[in-house]
Amino acid sequence: MDFEFTEDQVALRDAVQRWVEKGFSFERRRALAKAGGKTRPVHTELAELGLTGLMVPPTQGGMGFGAVEAMVVMEELGRGLVNAPFAAAALVAPTLLAPAGPDMQSQWLPRVADGSALVVPATQEAGSRYRLDVCTTVATQGAGGWVLSGRKCLVPAGDEADAFLVPARVGPHAVAPIGLFLVERDRCTVRAYPTQDGARAADITLAASLGQSVAPDAAATLELGHDVGIAAACAEGLGLMERLVAITVEYMNTRKQFGATLASFQALRHRMADVKMQLELARSMSYFATLKLGEPPARRRHALSLAKVQLGQSMRFVGQQCIQLHGGIGVTDECAASHYFKRLTMLEFAHGDTLHHLGQVSERMQDSAGVFA
Amino acid sequence: MDLTFTTEETEFRLQIRQWVAANLPHEISRKVRHALHLTREDMQRWARILGAQGWLGWSWPREFGGPGWNAVQRHLFEEECALAGAPRVVPFGPVMVAPVIMSFGTPEQQRRFLPGIASGDVWWSQGYSEPGSGSDLASLQCKAERRGDYYIVNGQKTWTTLAQHGDWIFCLVRTSNEGKPQTGISFLLIDMKSPGVSVRPIEMLDGSREINEVWFDNVEVPADQLIGQENKGWTYAKHLLSHERTNIADVNRAKRELERLKRIAKAEGLWDDRRFRDQIALLEVDIVALEMMVLRVLSGEKSGKQSLDVAGLLKIRGSEIQQRYAELMMLAAGPFALPWIKEAMDAGWQGEHVGAAHCAPLSATYFNLRKTTIYGGSNEVQRNIVAQTVLGS
Repeated sequence: MDFEFTEDQVALRDAVQRWVEKGFSFERRRALAKAGGKTRPVHTELAELGLTGLMVPPTQGGMGFGAVEAMVVMEELGRGLVNAPFAAAALVAPTLLAPAGPDMQSQWLPRVADGSALVVPATQEAGSRYRLDVCTTVATQGAGGWVLSGRKCLVPAGDEADAFLVPARVGPHAVAPIGLFLVERDRCTVRAYPTQDGARAADITLAASLGQSVAPDAAATLELGHDVGIAAACAEGLGLMERLVAITVEYMNTRKQFGATLASFQALRHRMADVKMQLELARSMSYFATLKLGEPPARRRHALSLAKVQLGQSMRFVGQQCIQLHGGIGVTDECAASHYFKRLTMLEFAHGDTLHHLGQVSERMQDSAGVFA
Repeated sequence: MDLTFTTEETEFRLQIRQWVAANLPHEISRKVRHALHLTREDMQRWARILGAQGWLGWSWPREFGGPGWNAVQRHLFEEECALAGAPRVVPFGPVMVAPVIMSFGTPEQQRRFLPGIASGDVWWSQGYSEPGSGSDLASLQCKAERRGDYYIVNGQKTWTTLAQHGDWIFCLVRTSNEGKPQTGISFLLIDMKSPGVSVRPIEMLDGSREINEVWFDNVEVPADQLIGQENKGWTYAKHLLSHERTNIADVNRAKRELERLKRIAKAEGLWDDRRFRDQIALLEVDIVALEMMVLRVLSGEKSGKQSLDVAGLLKIRGSEIQQRYAELMMLAAGPFALPWIKEAMDAGWQGEHVGAAHCAPLSATYFNLRKTTIYGGSNEVQRNIVAQTVLGS
């Protein structure tokens, strides 16, 4: 048991930090958001750093790194408030493509790794509310290959992606297995819109759209992808919170009212102590999430839900309180804190919100011997 | 980064588990598991069993007769004891005063006091708080005046846990009124059988008598029972606090009590009540998060590379969790939390329970554990300390 990073992991963190410092200012983020939230150029820059190949096997042009490296990168992207669909495209998508046949892997993974293809999961439907087993999209095998019909919503960077990874029932029955398919964007109708955090998502409509089969029964793969997404959201949330707390500490030590700095008032000091508590609990559970990704499915899913509940609570508390501690300036668009708050709020919903995962923990809760580390 | 324990650590855990299973008296663990009243004899019996094995001072280095375990081994030992239903070791001797004697005592003091602590034969109490000095401990007034080879001690201590059983007490006493309040305090070891020491138990809101007032009326204390230098006692006391890092969170006991809460919820028909069960689920999240925080600290201590200054956070969170599980157990009992039959909280009571037997002690435990956010530096004082660290001002 240890919680130390290797030299390579520290070097990776430094590299991402340097890129953020040089190339991703708050002004840039704000301008991207104001312009509608398109971020493909940012994704390309991350690809030039080699980060999009993080999880892709070396045989397919990637680095084949593990969960801890992914966590390190996500923390730094969070700290820098970088808007790009990185977790979806570089962490979840390669996970979902893992069961694909060799030809399909060779066709897509090298392009995922070098950033020339932006492939994102399209798992949510209007009625699914975070559940992976609720799926009305249907895939049928025709003469020319698989065709899919249905509708997916809230697909990250939907109008900038090149292809979607789409779960669909293989067959007309409600209980038919859920397979996973890759559908290129020009086979779908895409309606894109901005999201609360200054990014972009889209609803996509599939009408007998031609797709490639990744896996005929993808339930286990989808769950793993979901959990990889949770761990990524936890790590990004931790990075966001660390920076937001630092910004707030600086503000409390400079802003004066009643002739004294905000940091001198005990009511505010105690609030900051509570914020620090939530930050450290979140850090602990973000590590937990990442380090449990390799567990057998049932234990992994329980662990990731535990983590998401903690992170959901922490992200909301830290976000709300840091805005409150800023006073009036905190509720303006010019204040970086408000952007951190909105991204934290967005992540609270990512891959299941707090109540959803509390429900998961509650449902799966047995005598808890073994759930602990 | 790795969450798994090494093969050696797992092996170590198994050895501890087997030893505890073979040596922890069943009638004691039964009381602990059911939150029934533990007598002085129960507590001292377990202390002596550990002492005979050389494990009562489980955090002690080898040079003082301890096992010389590292931070992770100590944690595993504490966890195995807690999960098996061992009583919490009364910490004042082996955990609190012993490290101070090791660090600041003379070789003579070490030879004189450490063996009795290690064996569990000598019961120590802690004399810190006074009626006028609670959170503001440095304002303490209990006075020690040097007269020849003796200190003459006059004053009062309070909230002294289990002092009615105490053989010895370590006290912070005022030896000077010069300078800052902290600079005139000394650390004195006092034999509680000395003439002029009197103890009066204080009945707590749950009816228990685990805290006391202790009076000192012209008590003669040999000067060779002063630890270190006169007027440096505050420094030694702070050293003691820094020793209490992770087990202050009491996460191992929380894990055991979470299991008990689940058993009670099942027995009371609440397991399928989503509203109640979600509350247990939230507590489970809190306990896992606390455990991860503890493991981060332990890992840092083991490697010596990281220093995590989260002792205040561990105290706040650990105490809140203790209160929460007690609260949920009481709520699980529902109306059967209301009867207050004190004999029903003793093992072996043959009377007729109102409701299930497990309900009998639940409200008393709930009331008793309100102390946890007050003692050991109230949670508000802890927040002051945490804020100081975060804000740097």
